[in-house]
Amino acid sequence: MSVQIEVIAAPGCQKCASVQAELRAAAASVLGEDNLIWREVNVLDELDYAVALRVLTLPAIAVNGELRFASLPTPEQFRAMLARLERR
Amino acid sequence: MYTIGKLSLLAGVSTDTLRYYEKEGLITPASKTAAGYRLYDDGAARRIRFVKHAQHCGFTLAEIQELLKLKATDRACCQDVRRLAIEKKLRIAHKLRALQAMSRALDDLIERCKDSEKPLDDCPILRALENTLQEVSR
Repeated sequence: MSVQIEVIAAPGCQKCASVQAELRAAAASVLGEDNLIWREVNVLDELDYAVALRVLTLPAIAVNGELRFASLPTPEQFRAMLARLERR
Repeated sequence: MYTIGKLSLLAGVSTDTLRYYEKEGLITPASKTAAGYRLYDDGAARRIRFVKHAQHCGFTLAEIQELLKLKATDRACCQDVRRLAIEKKLRIAHKLRALQAMSRALDDLIERCKDSEKPLDDCPILRALENTLQEVSR
C-alpha cells in the first residue's frame, strides 16, 4: 500500500530543501520508491489544508493526511516512524 | 535622551506600559539621572514603534521578543523572520476556524429559538446548552 508523505513548508526554505532530500531518500529506502507518494506543500498556497492538518510550526510533516512531525525530524527519527507504519 | 514621561508622549503609550515593556526586557533605559530617573534614547523609541506595529499584526509580546532576538542575531536572515510571520498567520487561521465553528454553533442555537416569547423555562437555547453539558459530563 502506498504511503503519502507531505512536507509542509514555507517557500524558499533552504534548510528544508537539503533536509527534505535526505528524508525523501530515507522514505524511499524504507517504503520502496513505488510505494511512496512524496508531496511538497507550499503553506502559502495551501493554508487551509495546513490548518486542517493542525500545522502550527514550519516545516511540518504529515503522513497519510495526519500530522506526524511539527518540525523536521532527523533521518533516523523519520525512518523509525516509517518502520512503525510498515509494521501496522 | 527622554524621561519616561517624554518617551510615553513620543511613543503614544502609557508610562505603565513602558515599565511593563522594561520588565519584559523589550526596552532598557540607556542611563539614569543622578536622582535615579530612567533615561531612554531614540533606540527605545524605535523599539516601541516596532512593538506596536508587531502587536497590530497579532504578535504577542513573547513572539515580539523572539522577533527582536532574531533581529539581533547575526546568523538569522529574512527567511527566519518570514517563517515566524507565516507561523503567526497559521495560528490566526486556526483561531478563525475555531471562531467560525462557534459562530455556526450559535446559528444552530438561534435557529432553535424562533419563538422568543416563550417563558424562560422553555427556552430552547438554554435547554440545548444544558443537554450539551449533560452529554459532555457523561
